[in-house]
Amino acid sequence: MAESRSSSELRVLLAALLLALAASGCVTVRPEDKEFLAEPAMTFGSGGDARAQEEHVMGNREGSFGAGSATGGGCGCN
Amino acid sequence: MQLKLAGAVLGFALALASGAHAQVSVSTTNTVYREAGGGLETTSITPSLRIQGTIQDRVTLRAGWEADVVSGASVAVVDAPGAVDAITSATEWSDFRNTATAGFGIKSEYATLEGSYTYGTENDYRSHAFALTASAQLFERNTTFSLTYGRGFDRVCNLLQPRAQESVDRVRMPSSEGCFEDDAGREELKLALHTVQGAWTQAWAPIFATQLTLSAQILNGYQGNPYRAVWLGRVAAQENHPENRARYAAGLGLRFWVNPLKGALQLSTRVYRDTWDVSSITAEAAWEQRVLEGFTVRARLRYYNQTGAAFYSDDYVRFPRGQYFTGDRELSPMSSWLVGGHVAYDVPPGEDGGVGPFAGFVILAKFDWVKYDFRDFHYGDAAVPNDRAIMATLGLEASF
Repeated sequence: MAESRSSSELRVLLAALLLALAASGCVTVRPEDKEFLAEPAMTFGSGGDARAQEEHVMGNREGSFGAGSATGGGCGCN
Repeated sequence: MQLKLAGAVLGFALALASGAHAQVSVSTTNTVYREAGGGLETTSITPSLRIQGTIQDRVTLRAGWEADVVSGASVAVVDAPGAVDAITSATEWSDFRNTATAGFGIKSEYATLEGSYTYGTENDYRSHAFALTASAQLFERNTTFSLTYGRGFDRVCNLLQPRAQESVDRVRMPSSEGCFEDDAGREELKLALHTVQGAWTQAWAPIFATQLTLSAQILNGYQGNPYRAVWLGRVAAQENHPENRARYAAGLGLRFWVNPLKGALQLSTRVYRDTWDVSSITAEAAWEQRVLEGFTVRARLRYYNQTGAAFYSDDYVRFPRGQYFTGDRELSPMSSWLVGGHVAYDVPPGEDGGVGPFAGFVILAKFDWVKYDFRDFHYGDAAVPNDRAIMATLGLEASF
Protein backbone atom coordinates (compact mmCIF):
# COMPACT_ATOMS: atom_id res chain seq x y z
CA MET A 1 0.00 0.00 0.00
CA ALA A 2 2.75 2.42 1.03
CA GLU A 3 4.82 1.33 -1.98
CA SER A 4 1.92 2.05 -4.33
CA ARG A 5 1.45 5.51 -2.75
CA SER A 6 5.10 6.44 -3.11
CA SER A 7 5.05 5.13 -6.69
CA SER A 8 2.11 7.37 -7.60
CA GLU A 9 3.77 10.34 -5.86
CA LEU A 10 6.87 9.69 -7.95
CA ARG A 11 4.77 9.63 -11.13
CA VAL A 12 3.14 12.96 -10.22
CA LEU A 13 6.54 14.50 -9.50
CA LEU A 14 7.92 13.17 -12.78
CA ALA A 15 4.94 14.57 -14.70
CA ALA A 16 5.37 17.98 -13.00
CA LEU A 17 9.07 17.93 -13.85
CA LEU A 18 8.39 17.12 -17.51
CA LEU A 19 5.75 19.85 -17.68
CA ALA A 20 8.19 22.38 -16.21
CA LEU A 21 10.89 21.25 -18.64
CA ALA A 22 8.50 21.70 -21.55
CA ALA A 23 7.51 25.14 -20.26
CA SER A 24 11.17 26.18 -20.02
CA GLY A 25 11.42 26.06 -23.83
CA CYS A 26 8.69 28.69 -24.10
CA VAL A 27 10.42 31.11 -21.75
CA THR A 28 12.43 33.85 -23.37
CA VAL A 29 14.45 36.32 -21.36
CA ARG A 30 16.24 38.43 -23.91
CA PRO A 31 19.98 39.04 -23.50
CA GLU A 32 19.42 42.77 -22.87
CA ASP A 33 17.05 41.87 -20.00
CA LYS A 34 19.62 39.81 -18.12
CA GLU A 35 21.26 42.62 -16.18
CA PHE A 36 19.83 41.49 -12.85
CA LEU A 37 20.26 37.78 -13.57
CA ALA A 38 23.99 38.47 -13.98
CA GLU A 39 24.28 39.85 -10.43
CA PRO A 40 26.37 37.56 -8.15
CA ALA A 41 23.39 37.38 -5.77
CA MET A 42 21.33 35.80 -8.57
CA THR A 43 23.94 33.27 -9.60
CA PHE A 44 23.71 29.72 -8.29
CA GLY A 45 26.91 28.23 -6.93
CA SER A 46 28.52 31.63 -6.50
CA GLY A 47 29.80 30.76 -3.01
CA GLY A 48 33.00 29.27 -4.43
CA ASP A 49 35.60 27.84 -2.09
CA ALA A 50 33.92 29.30 1.01
CA ARG A 51 30.77 27.33 0.22
CA ALA A 52 32.78 24.17 -0.52
CA GLN A 53 34.59 24.45 2.81
CA GLU A 54 31.29 24.93 4.64
CA GLU A 55 29.89 21.82 2.96
CA HIS A 56 32.99 19.86 3.96
CA VAL A 57 32.80 21.00 7.59
CA MET A 58 29.03 20.56 7.93
CA GLY A 59 29.15 17.27 6.04
CA ASN A 60 30.93 15.75 9.01
CA ARG A 61 28.29 17.04 11.44
CA GLU A 62 25.08 16.04 9.69
CA GLY A 63 24.01 12.60 8.57
CA SER A 64 22.80 13.64 5.15
CA PHE A 65 24.89 16.58 4.04
CA GLY A 66 26.82 16.48 0.79
CA ALA A 67 25.28 13.54 -1.05
CA GLY A 68 25.90 15.55 -4.20
CA SER A 69 29.54 16.14 -3.48
CA ALA A 70 31.98 14.41 -5.77
CA THR A 71 35.17 15.50 -4.06
CA GLY A 72 37.37 13.24 -2.01
CA GLY A 73 39.05 13.32 1.34
CA GLY A 74 38.54 11.71 4.68
CA CYS A 75 36.10 12.70 7.32
CA GLY A 76 38.40 14.70 9.60
CA CYS A 77 36.05 13.68 12.35
CA ASN A 78 37.53 11.09 14.74
CA MET B 1 55.71 17.66 0.10
CA GLN B 2 54.27 21.14 0.72
CA LEU B 3 57.40 22.72 -0.79
CA LYS B 4 57.10 20.57 -3.92
CA LEU B 5 53.44 21.46 -4.21
CA ALA B 6 54.14 25.17 -3.74
CA GLY B 7 56.82 24.94 -6.45
CA ALA B 8 54.42 23.19 -8.81
CA VAL B 9 51.71 25.81 -8.16
CA LEU B 10 54.19 28.65 -8.73
CA GLY B 11 55.43 27.06 -11.96
CA PHE B 12 51.84 26.65 -13.11
CA ALA B 13 51.17 30.34 -12.37
CA LEU B 14 54.23 31.55 -14.22
CA ALA B 15 53.53 29.34 -17.22
CA LEU B 16 50.00 30.68 -17.43
CA ALA B 17 50.96 34.29 -16.88
CA SER B 18 53.53 34.11 -19.65
CA GLY B 19 51.01 32.66 -22.09
CA ALA B 20 49.23 34.90 -24.54
CA HIS B 21 45.77 36.13 -23.47
CA ALA B 22 45.94 34.20 -20.19
CA GLN B 23 43.85 35.33 -17.24
CA VAL B 24 45.14 34.06 -13.93
CA SER B 25 43.50 34.19 -10.53
CA VAL B 26 44.91 33.14 -7.19
CA SER B 27 42.69 32.69 -4.16
CA THR B 28 43.01 31.61 -0.58
CA THR B 29 40.08 30.62 1.63
CA ASN B 30 40.46 29.82 5.32
CA THR B 31 37.76 28.48 7.59
CA VAL B 32 37.80 27.96 11.35
CA TYR B 33 35.11 25.78 12.95
CA ARG B 34 34.83 25.34 16.69
CA GLU B 35 32.33 23.60 18.91
CA ALA B 36 32.84 23.19 22.61
CA GLY B 37 31.03 22.43 25.84
CA GLY B 38 31.21 20.14 28.86
CA GLY B 39 34.78 19.05 28.18
CA LEU B 40 34.07 17.93 24.62
CA GLU B 41 35.36 20.04 21.78
CA THR B 42 36.32 20.07 18.13
CA THR B 43 38.39 22.70 16.38
CA SER B 44 39.15 22.51 12.70
CA ILE B 45 41.19 24.97 10.69
CA THR B 46 40.88 24.64 6.92
CA PRO B 47 43.29 26.69 4.81
CA SER B 48 43.31 26.43 1.03
CA LEU B 49 45.11 27.87 -1.94
CA ARG B 50 43.77 27.79 -5.49
CA ILE B 51 45.21 28.97 -8.76
CA GLN B 52 43.28 29.09 -11.99
CA GLY B 53 44.25 30.18 -15.46
CA THR B 54 42.06 30.70 -18.49
CA ILE B 55 43.64 30.72 -21.93
CA GLN B 56 41.90 32.34 -24.89
CA ASP B 57 38.60 32.24 -22.92
CA ARG B 58 38.34 28.57 -23.88
CA VAL B 59 40.58 26.43 -21.73
CA THR B 60 40.84 26.65 -17.97
CA LEU B 61 43.41 24.90 -15.82
CA ARG B 62 43.19 24.70 -12.06
CA ALA B 63 45.40 23.52 -9.23
CA GLY B 64 44.80 23.69 -5.54
CA TRP B 65 45.75 22.59 -2.08
CA GLU B 66 43.60 22.32 1.02
CA ALA B 67 44.29 21.10 4.53
CA ASP B 68 42.34 20.33 7.67
CA VAL B 69 44.04 20.73 11.00
CA VAL B 70 41.58 19.08 13.35
CA SER B 71 41.88 18.58 17.09
CA GLY B 72 39.53 17.98 19.96
CA ALA B 73 38.30 15.82 22.78
CA SER B 74 35.58 13.26 22.10
CA VAL B 75 34.02 10.22 23.72
CA ALA B 76 35.80 7.08 22.54
CA VAL B 77 33.48 4.55 24.19
CA VAL B 78 29.88 5.67 23.91
CA ASP B 79 27.67 4.75 26.89
CA ALA B 80 30.54 3.16 28.82
CA PRO B 81 29.48 2.21 32.39
CA GLY B 82 30.04 5.03 34.84
CA ALA B 83 30.27 7.62 32.09
CA VAL B 84 27.35 9.62 33.40
CA ASP B 85 29.46 12.68 32.77
CA ALA B 86 30.73 12.86 29.21
CA ILE B 87 33.97 14.42 30.44
CA THR B 88 35.01 11.26 32.24
CA SER B 89 35.59 9.26 29.09
CA ALA B 90 36.70 12.04 26.75
CA THR B 91 39.95 11.40 24.93
CA GLU B 92 42.04 13.97 23.13
CA TRP B 93 42.88 13.51 19.45
CA SER B 94 44.23 15.40 16.49
CA ASP B 95 44.53 14.85 12.75
CA PHE B 96 45.99 16.54 9.73
CA ARG B 97 44.43 16.16 6.29
CA ASN B 98 46.02 17.32 3.07
CA THR B 99 44.41 17.37 -0.36
CA ALA B 100 45.85 18.36 -3.71
CA THR B 101 43.58 19.02 -6.69
CA ALA B 102 44.17 19.49 -10.40
CA GLY B 103 41.46 20.19 -12.91
CA PHE B 104 40.61 21.49 -16.34
CA GLY B 105 37.70 23.08 -18.17
CA ILE B 106 36.99 23.36 -21.88
CA LYS B 107 34.36 25.81 -23.02
CA SER B 108 32.64 26.17 -26.36
CA GLU B 109 29.93 28.67 -27.19
CA TYR B 110 27.14 26.72 -25.51
CA ALA B 111 28.80 23.86 -23.66
CA THR B 112 31.42 23.23 -21.00
CA LEU B 113 33.35 20.13 -20.00
CA GLU B 114 35.19 20.09 -16.68
CA GLY B 115 37.27 17.43 -14.99
CA SER B 116 39.20 17.19 -11.76
CA TYR B 117 41.30 14.84 -9.70
CA THR B 118 41.81 15.14 -5.95
CA TYR B 119 44.23 13.21 -3.79
CA GLY B 120 43.67 13.30 -0.05
CA THR B 121 45.84 11.98 2.71
CA GLU B 122 45.49 11.74 6.49
CA ASN B 123 47.28 9.66 9.10
CA ASP B 124 44.51 7.09 8.82
CA TYR B 125 42.91 7.79 5.41
CA ARG B 126 43.81 7.96 1.72
CA SER B 127 41.51 9.03 -1.09
CA HIS B 128 41.55 9.40 -4.85
CA ALA B 129 38.57 11.23 -6.36
CA PHE B 130 37.74 11.93 -9.99
CA ALA B 131 34.91 14.13 -11.20
CA LEU B 132 33.66 14.94 -14.68
CA THR B 133 30.99 17.57 -15.39
CA ALA B 134 29.35 18.35 -18.72
CA SER B 135 26.97 21.27 -19.07
CA ALA B 136 25.03 22.79 -21.93
CA GLN B 137 23.11 26.04 -22.37
CA LEU B 138 19.86 26.01 -24.35
CA PHE B 139 17.02 28.30 -25.37
CA GLU B 140 19.00 31.54 -25.71
CA ARG B 141 21.04 30.62 -22.63
CA ASN B 142 17.96 30.70 -20.39
CA THR B 143 18.32 27.00 -19.61
CA THR B 144 21.42 25.19 -18.40
CA PHE B 145 21.66 21.46 -17.86
CA SER B 146 24.67 19.91 -16.19
CA LEU B 147 25.59 16.36 -15.34
CA THR B 148 28.37 15.32 -12.98
CA TYR B 149 29.82 11.90 -12.33
CA GLY B 150 32.22 11.44 -9.45
CA ARG B 151 34.21 8.36 -8.51
CA GLY B 152 36.12 7.91 -5.27
CA PHE B 153 38.64 5.26 -4.28
CA ASP B 154 39.22 5.59 -0.54
CA ARG B 155 41.16 3.51 1.94
CA VAL B 156 40.62 3.59 5.69
CA CYS B 157 43.11 2.36 8.28
CA ASN B 158 41.82 -0.01 10.93
CA LEU B 159 43.10 -2.37 13.57
CA LEU B 160 43.85 -5.74 11.97
CA GLN B 161 41.01 -7.98 13.09
CA PRO B 162 39.58 -11.00 11.30
CA ARG B 163 36.57 -9.78 9.32
CA ALA B 164 34.92 -13.13 9.97
CA GLN B 165 35.10 -12.36 13.66
CA GLU B 166 31.83 -11.50 15.37
CA SER B 167 31.35 -7.73 15.25
CA VAL B 168 30.79 -7.63 19.00
CA ASP B 169 34.32 -9.01 19.50
CA ARG B 170 36.04 -6.28 17.49
CA VAL B 171 37.79 -3.58 19.49
CA ARG B 172 38.39 0.02 18.58
CA MET B 173 41.67 1.25 17.12
CA PRO B 174 43.50 3.20 19.85
CA SER B 175 45.54 5.45 17.55
CA SER B 176 46.65 5.94 13.94
CA GLU B 177 50.17 4.82 14.81
CA GLY B 178 51.39 2.34 12.19
CA CYS B 179 48.73 3.20 9.62
CA PHE B 180 49.90 2.91 5.98
CA GLU B 181 53.34 1.84 7.23
CA ASP B 182 53.30 -1.95 6.75
CA ASP B 183 52.48 -2.39 10.42
CA ALA B 184 51.33 -5.98 10.97
CA GLY B 185 48.75 -4.73 13.46
CA ARG B 186 46.99 -2.48 10.96
CA GLU B 187 44.91 -3.13 7.84
CA GLU B 188 43.54 -0.98 5.04
CA LEU B 189 39.83 -1.20 4.24
CA LYS B 190 38.38 0.04 0.98
CA LEU B 191 35.53 2.45 0.43
CA ALA B 192 34.23 2.99 -3.11
CA LEU B 193 32.05 5.99 -3.97
CA HIS B 194 29.94 6.65 -7.06
CA THR B 195 28.17 9.99 -7.33
CA VAL B 196 25.84 11.22 -10.05
CA GLN B 197 24.34 14.69 -9.99
CA GLY B 198 22.13 16.47 -12.49
CA ALA B 199 21.23 20.14 -12.32
CA TRP B 200 18.76 22.25 -14.25
CA THR B 201 19.14 26.00 -13.96
CA GLN B 202 16.41 28.12 -15.50
CA ALA B 203 15.94 31.87 -15.96
CA TRP B 204 12.15 32.37 -15.97
CA ALA B 205 12.04 36.16 -15.98
CA PRO B 206 14.53 39.04 -15.80
CA ILE B 207 14.28 38.91 -11.99
CA PHE B 208 13.59 35.24 -11.31
CA ALA B 209 15.69 32.09 -11.68
CA THR B 210 15.55 28.57 -10.27
CA GLN B 211 17.83 25.59 -9.95
CA LEU B 212 16.75 21.98 -9.50
CA THR B 213 19.37 19.48 -8.41
CA LEU B 214 19.00 15.70 -8.25
CA SER B 215 21.80 13.55 -6.91
CA ALA B 216 22.48 9.96 -6.04
CA GLN B 217 25.44 8.38 -4.36
CA ILE B 218 26.40 4.77 -3.74
CA LEU B 219 28.98 3.89 -1.14
CA ASN B 220 30.44 0.45 -0.70
CA GLY B 221 33.02 -0.39 1.95
CA TYR B 222 34.03 0.56 5.46
CA GLN B 223 32.02 3.54 6.70
CA GLY B 224 32.53 3.49 10.45
CA ASN B 225 34.84 5.40 12.73
CA PRO B 226 37.59 2.94 13.72
CA TYR B 227 38.39 4.86 16.92
CA ARG B 228 34.88 4.69 18.36
CA ALA B 229 33.32 1.89 20.39
CA VAL B 230 29.84 1.37 21.76
CA TRP B 231 28.98 -0.26 25.08
CA LEU B 232 26.81 -3.31 24.36
CA GLY B 233 26.28 -4.65 27.88
CA ARG B 234 29.20 -6.95 28.50
CA VAL B 235 31.76 -5.46 26.13
CA ALA B 236 32.56 -2.26 24.28
CA ALA B 237 32.81 -3.12 20.57
CA GLN B 238 34.06 -1.05 17.66
CA GLU B 239 31.05 0.51 15.97
CA ASN B 240 29.69 -1.62 13.15
CA HIS B 241 28.00 0.06 10.19
CA PRO B 242 26.56 -1.59 7.08
CA GLU B 243 29.00 -1.66 4.16
CA ASN B 244 26.49 -0.45 1.56
CA ARG B 245 24.67 2.85 1.49
CA ALA B 246 22.71 4.49 -1.30
CA ARG B 247 21.88 8.16 -0.85
CA TYR B 248 19.42 10.30 -2.84
CA ALA B 249 18.83 14.03 -2.63
CA ALA B 250 16.77 16.63 -4.44
CA GLY B 251 17.25 20.35 -4.05
CA LEU B 252 15.38 23.38 -5.30
CA GLY B 253 16.77 26.91 -5.19
CA LEU B 254 14.96 30.14 -6.08
CA ARG B 255 16.38 33.62 -6.65
CA PHE B 256 14.24 36.77 -6.79
CA TRP B 257 15.79 40.14 -7.59
CA VAL B 258 14.07 43.03 -5.82
CA ASN B 259 15.20 46.00 -7.85
CA PRO B 260 13.95 48.86 -5.60
CA LEU B 261 16.16 47.43 -2.84
CA LYS B 262 19.04 46.34 -5.12
CA GLY B 263 19.03 42.97 -3.43
CA ALA B 264 18.05 39.35 -3.94
CA LEU B 265 15.91 36.96 -1.93
CA GLN B 266 17.41 33.47 -2.02
CA LEU B 267 15.31 30.49 -0.96
CA SER B 268 16.38 26.87 -1.07
CA THR B 269 15.20 23.53 0.15
CA ARG B 270 16.64 20.04 0.01
CA VAL B 271 15.16 16.65 0.78
CA TYR B 272 17.27 13.58 1.33
CA ARG B 273 16.80 9.87 1.90
CA ASP B 274 19.14 6.92 2.11
CA THR B 275 19.05 3.16 2.54
CA TRP B 276 20.12 3.46 6.19
CA ASP B 277 16.70 5.07 6.65
CA VAL B 278 18.08 8.53 7.34
CA SER B 279 15.85 11.14 5.79
CA SER B 280 16.22 14.87 6.13
CA ILE B 281 14.93 18.23 5.08
CA THR B 282 16.90 21.45 4.85
CA ALA B 283 15.41 24.91 4.35
CA GLU B 284 17.35 28.11 3.92
CA ALA B 285 16.36 31.72 3.41
CA ALA B 286 18.86 34.46 2.66
CA TRP B 287 18.92 38.06 1.63
CA GLU B 288 21.87 39.43 -0.34
CA GLN B 289 22.11 43.18 -0.58
CA ARG B 290 24.31 45.34 -2.76
CA VAL B 291 25.29 48.22 -0.47
CA LEU B 292 27.86 50.19 -2.48
CA GLU B 293 29.61 49.54 -5.76
CA GLY B 294 31.25 46.14 -5.35
CA PHE B 295 30.18 45.81 -1.70
CA THR B 296 27.56 43.18 -0.78
CA VAL B 297 26.14 41.92 2.49
CA ARG B 298 24.35 38.60 2.95
CA ALA B 299 22.32 37.35 5.93
CA ARG B 300 20.84 33.89 6.17
CA LEU B 301 18.85 31.51 8.31
CA ARG B 302 19.03 27.74 7.82
CA TYR B 303 17.08 24.89 9.42
CA TYR B 304 17.99 21.23 9.20
CA ASN B 305 16.15 18.18 10.53
CA GLN B 306 16.89 14.48 10.09
CA THR B 307 15.61 11.13 11.30
CA GLY B 308 17.96 8.53 12.74
CA ALA B 309 19.42 5.52 10.98
CA ALA B 310 17.42 2.29 11.20
CA PHE B 311 20.12 0.69 13.34
CA TYR B 312 20.63 3.67 15.64
CA SER B 313 19.85 3.26 19.32
CA ASP B 314 20.56 5.56 22.23
CA ASP B 315 21.04 2.51 24.45
CA TYR B 316 22.11 -0.75 22.82
CA VAL B 317 21.95 -2.63 26.13
CA ARG B 318 18.21 -2.15 26.52
CA PHE B 319 17.25 -1.46 22.91
CA PRO B 320 19.54 -3.33 20.50
CA ARG B 321 18.96 -2.90 16.76
CA GLY B 322 20.25 -6.12 15.29
CA GLN B 323 23.73 -6.74 13.97
CA TYR B 324 24.70 -3.08 13.50
CA PHE B 325 25.49 -0.48 16.15
CA THR B 326 26.86 3.04 16.10
CA GLY B 327 28.07 5.71 18.46
CA ASP B 328 27.80 8.38 15.79
CA ARG B 329 25.59 11.23 16.94
CA GLU B 330 25.16 12.26 13.29
CA LEU B 331 23.16 9.06 12.74
CA SER B 332 20.72 9.90 15.53
CA PRO B 333 17.57 12.00 15.06
CA MET B 334 18.83 15.58 15.17
CA SER B 335 18.15 19.11 14.02
CA SER B 336 20.09 22.32 13.80
CA TRP B 337 19.62 26.04 13.30
CA LEU B 338 22.24 28.15 11.60
CA VAL B 339 22.32 31.94 11.59
CA GLY B 340 25.01 33.75 9.68
CA GLY B 341 26.09 35.98 6.93
CA HIS B 342 28.95 37.40 4.96
CA VAL B 343 30.32 40.62 3.61
CA ALA B 344 32.10 40.68 0.26
CA TYR B 345 34.01 43.47 -1.39
CA ASP B 346 34.90 43.28 -5.06
CA VAL B 347 37.24 46.25 -5.18
CA PRO B 348 36.16 48.55 -8.06
CA PRO B 349 38.88 49.14 -10.64
CA GLY B 350 40.67 52.49 -10.74
CA GLU B 351 41.14 54.77 -13.72
CA ASP B 352 43.78 52.46 -15.17
CA GLY B 353 41.26 49.61 -15.14
CA GLY B 354 43.06 47.69 -12.39
CA VAL B 355 43.24 47.42 -8.62
CA GLY B 356 46.83 48.31 -7.76
CA PRO B 357 49.01 45.54 -9.19
CA PHE B 358 45.98 43.32 -9.85
CA ALA B 359 43.29 43.20 -12.51
CA GLY B 360 40.79 42.53 -9.74
CA PHE B 361 40.66 41.86 -6.01
CA VAL B 362 37.86 40.33 -3.91
CA ILE B 363 37.66 40.01 -0.12
CA LEU B 364 35.10 37.80 1.62
CA ALA B 365 34.44 37.53 5.37
CA LYS B 366 31.84 35.02 6.54
CA PHE B 367 30.51 34.08 9.96
CA ASP B 368 27.96 31.47 11.07
CA TRP B 369 26.60 30.33 14.41
CA VAL B 370 25.09 26.84 14.71
CA LYS B 371 22.89 25.32 17.42
CA TYR B 372 22.42 21.54 17.31
CA ASP B 373 19.68 19.57 19.00
CA PHE B 374 20.50 15.89 19.53
CA ARG B 375 17.12 14.93 20.92
CA ASP B 376 17.78 11.21 21.16
CA PHE B 377 21.52 10.96 21.78
CA HIS B 378 23.08 10.73 25.25
CA TYR B 379 26.45 9.81 26.69
CA GLY B 380 25.12 7.53 29.39
CA ASP B 381 22.55 9.82 30.95
CA ALA B 382 24.22 13.05 29.85
CA ALA B 383 22.94 15.14 26.96
CA VAL B 384 25.40 16.23 24.26
CA PRO B 385 27.21 19.18 25.88
CA ASN B 386 29.00 20.51 22.80
CA ASP B 387 25.89 21.53 20.90
CA ARG B 388 26.91 25.01 19.79
CA ALA B 389 29.42 25.93 17.12
CA ILE B 390 30.86 28.90 15.30
CA MET B 391 32.30 28.93 11.82
CA ALA B 392 34.31 31.83 10.38
CA THR B 393 35.80 32.17 6.90
CA LEU B 394 38.15 34.67 5.31
CA GLY B 395 38.69 34.55 1.56
CA LEU B 396 40.93 36.61 -0.72
CA GLU B 397 41.08 36.40 -4.50
CA ALA B 398 43.38 38.30 -6.81
CA SER B 399 43.23 38.17 -10.58
CA PHE B 400 45.98 39.19 -13.00
